[in-house]
Amino acid sequence: MKKIIKNPYLHFVILGLILALVPKMAEMGLIKTSYLTTLGGTFIFAIAALGLNILLGYSGLISLGTAGFMGLAAYLSAYFTSDMNIPFELSMFLAILIPTLVGILIGLVSLKIEGIYLAIATLAVSEIMKKTFEEFDVFTNGFSGKTASYPTLLGTFELNRATTYYFVVVVLVLVMLLTYNLMNGRLGRALNAMRGSEAASQAMGVNLLKHRLIAFALATMYASIAGVLYVHFIKYAYPTTWSLNLSLNFLSMIIIGGLRSIYGTLLGAVIVFAVPDLLLKQIPILSDLSYVLNGILIILVIIFYPNGLIHMFTDLKKLFGKLIKGEK
Amino acid sequence: MQNNLDNSVLKVEGLSIAFGGLKAVDNLSFEIKEKEVFGLIGPNGAGKTTAFNCITQFYKPDSGSIVFKDRSGNVHNLLEKNVHDIVKLGLVRTFQNVELIRELSVIDNVLIGAHVDFKSTIIDQALRLPRARKEEKKYRAEALRVLGILGIADRADLPAGGQPYGVLKKVEFARALMSNPRLIILDEPAAGLNDIETAELSKLIRKLRDELDCSILLVEHDMRLVMDVCDKICAISFGKFLAVGTPKEIKENKDVQVAYLGIEVEENA
Amino acid sequence: MSTFIQVILRSLETGSIYALAALSIIIIFRTSNIVNFSQGSVAMFNTFVVTYLFNSLGINIWLAALGGILSAIVTGLLIDLVVIRHTKKVHPEAKQIITLGMLMIVLGISPLIFGVDPLRLPKLIETGNLSIFGADISYNGVFNIIFGLFVMGGLFVVLQKTKIGLAVRSTASNEHTAKLMGVPTKTVTMGAWAVAGVLGVLSGVMTAPMTSVTLHIMDDVQLNALIAVVLGGFQTFYGPVVGAYVIGIGRNLLLYYGSSVWGGQILYILILVFLVFRPHGLFGKKIIKKV
Repeated sequence: MKKIIKNPYLHFVILGLILALVPKMAEMGLIKTSYLTTLGGTFIFAIAALGLNILLGYSGLISLGTAGFMGLAAYLSAYFTSDMNIPFELSMFLAILIPTLVGILIGLVSLKIEGIYLAIATLAVSEIMKKTFEEFDVFTNGFSGKTASYPTLLGTFELNRATTYYFVVVVLVLVMLLTYNLMNGRLGRALNAMRGSEAASQAMGVNLLKHRLIAFALATMYASIAGVLYVHFIKYAYPTTWSLNLSLNFLSMIIIGGLRSIYGTLLGAVIVFAVPDLLLKQIPILSDLSYVLNGILIILVIIFYPNGLIHMFTDLKKLFGKLIKGEK
Repeated sequence: MQNNLDNSVLKVEGLSIAFGGLKAVDNLSFEIKEKEVFGLIGPNGAGKTTAFNCITQFYKPDSGSIVFKDRSGNVHNLLEKNVHDIVKLGLVRTFQNVELIRELSVIDNVLIGAHVDFKSTIIDQALRLPRARKEEKKYRAEALRVLGILGIADRADLPAGGQPYGVLKKVEFARALMSNPRLIILDEPAAGLNDIETAELSKLIRKLRDELDCSILLVEHDMRLVMDVCDKICAISFGKFLAVGTPKEIKENKDVQVAYLGIEVEENA
Repeated sequence: MSTFIQVILRSLETGSIYALAALSIIIIFRTSNIVNFSQGSVAMFNTFVVTYLFNSLGINIWLAALGGILSAIVTGLLIDLVVIRHTKKVHPEAKQIITLGMLMIVLGISPLIFGVDPLRLPKLIETGNLSIFGADISYNGVFNIIFGLFVMGGLFVVLQKTKIGLAVRSTASNEHTAKLMGVPTKTVTMGAWAVAGVLGVLSGVMTAPMTSVTLHIMDDVQLNALIAVVLGGFQTFYGPVVGAYVIGIGRNLLLYYGSSVWGGQILYILILVFLVFRPHGLFGKKIIKKV
């Protein structure tokens, strides 16, 4: 019994089931319907952030191109489904594959040298993409923005807002499972070893370039999945969405939430996206400051609490445990 | 390759490397036999570490040849290999300042030593297909066995971060052993150990050699350990070869005494 | 021919701007081992200060620029005292992320202080044109080119010939040893942040008249400066400066003779390809890491 309760897979599934209750709660009038969009968006961003967490948390590499790759996938999927009438599933596959291949190409160029080159190269790439989104009208519809519709699964099931939300939750849980498996197996160990000591990992047979590339490809792939979900859930894409600001928000999520932590990433996404949208909106001054607050949080967390806020729960438990024992 | 190594596992010939004009290793040659514990000694800055960084391909030497014979008797020119391919041949090293990952458990650290042996693909791992699960189980058992040989199996699931220094050294040993090595290079294993621990270490080194049927190259500073455990010793100073021989021969060698032991050969004075 | 000269003159002007920004980044990298991603946004902030002094308080443009320099020194010192000084134990990658955090803070605070409307900042020398071989360049442009070279030349003289320069260079090559030798490395680092801030606001004041003062005024400069550092290599102070001029010239040539829309992007791709063949940049060397 204990074993079943401790099973990590079960935790992911239960989390998914809880998240899936939100539309029902909205129907019953317990929460506002607009929360559905905010939460769905938050989970989509969490997927992209999970990819960045593999890259930064496990292999210590920084990418500033998350938003750019996400945008590329969003435009591709919108173009494939709306302009070319390609079925959703195939379009999703292609819209994930193409940015990932672009990412691998960029990785091949920049990862051969020092890790920091990736940050600069991805910054340049996100600039190139921004320009593309603005200028390449035929494909992106420029500043007017590109629209897309809710996904149609298997050519018959036309989803609406609530069912697309379910779809997002299912993908989120699947991505979490995949991440858990990868990071707790050989790949995760190799990436950990690489971050701990490049020399030692090489001596154990870890090919640095190959593993950095895998980590970056995974990060791009996750960002692309998020991009596809975004454009079919929010239903439009503007060039201004895919800015450096968004990439930095992804970075805040994983630093604040917790490096190398799946739940930490989700917590970070909630703090960075959902909290400003759901709570701070009522207080205009705080809402304007949310970006500043994220910046301050990043610095404070790195200096004082480098493992992220997700560890607050266990640390608090320990603290309470000590206090109770102390009283006795 | 034509080179016949007879019963040697590693043969270094005419190895030279310079950093900005300074010759760190100058025309160094030595040979390590099967099941031999071989010591490479020299005063600080003698080029010991540089020499074996050349062997393990962290540095590419300016000239010389390094050949290695694997378990199936194939001879390899190490200079043609990438750093990360060395371990596949059966040549593995440890590090002077224990290079482990603090956040991972002891056994996960050891499992990194089996990195190159895994056959399952990324997709196998992502979906935890039977193949990946079986492999993970197999190497986990192997890691436990190795930790058992070193007497620290009970610490397998504890985080490496909190372990005492002596245990960390053993974990690094265990990681090296996972690759079923033919030759292990130990980089100053006695550094930071007290007398009792050093004595234990020399026992352990012999035990490893016998149980795992491999050769050991010991790059060391601590003369007691070297004299105690080595079958053969090569002494170098300022990158240059001084002498090679049994511990007794090395002890009595005048050049070595002058260079290493710092004895200004008083009898002559 | 005159158009070509015209393009080159413009390039030298933008090259000066990129070079000041690149020098600002490399000074921080060499003394604090941080790739400072907040360089551009801090420069943006101080350029806003200059604009505010000029527009709202009606102060003379030269005095306003001086005010910007003072504010750059203060922000530079504050960044070091409040943040950087406390990151000694922080992992190098995390330090870069801290500068990204600073970027977010500055980017978030600036509109609250200065508003969101684009502002105008005039040239330091408002009128007058110089004609060279049929090509026109404003006096301000000439001033920017010469002033940029003058500032950088001055800095190099300080770095190479003075005691302060020696302290900076020894901190750059090995902070720990420098400290043992009695170099006040803390002061050196703090000074570096101040100097970097000044270089930033200078590049900002030069950029402003060509566009309008907005939150994103320095985005382009920052990116080109970072790429200039990669192109020139991280190991020398002069490499990034040379890289900056190469980018200034290459970019304008591509924009003029290639594509006016995609010229900049083509240059980035060319540089990425160049780095495949010379991964450590124009003047960088491969560093052998100790294992």
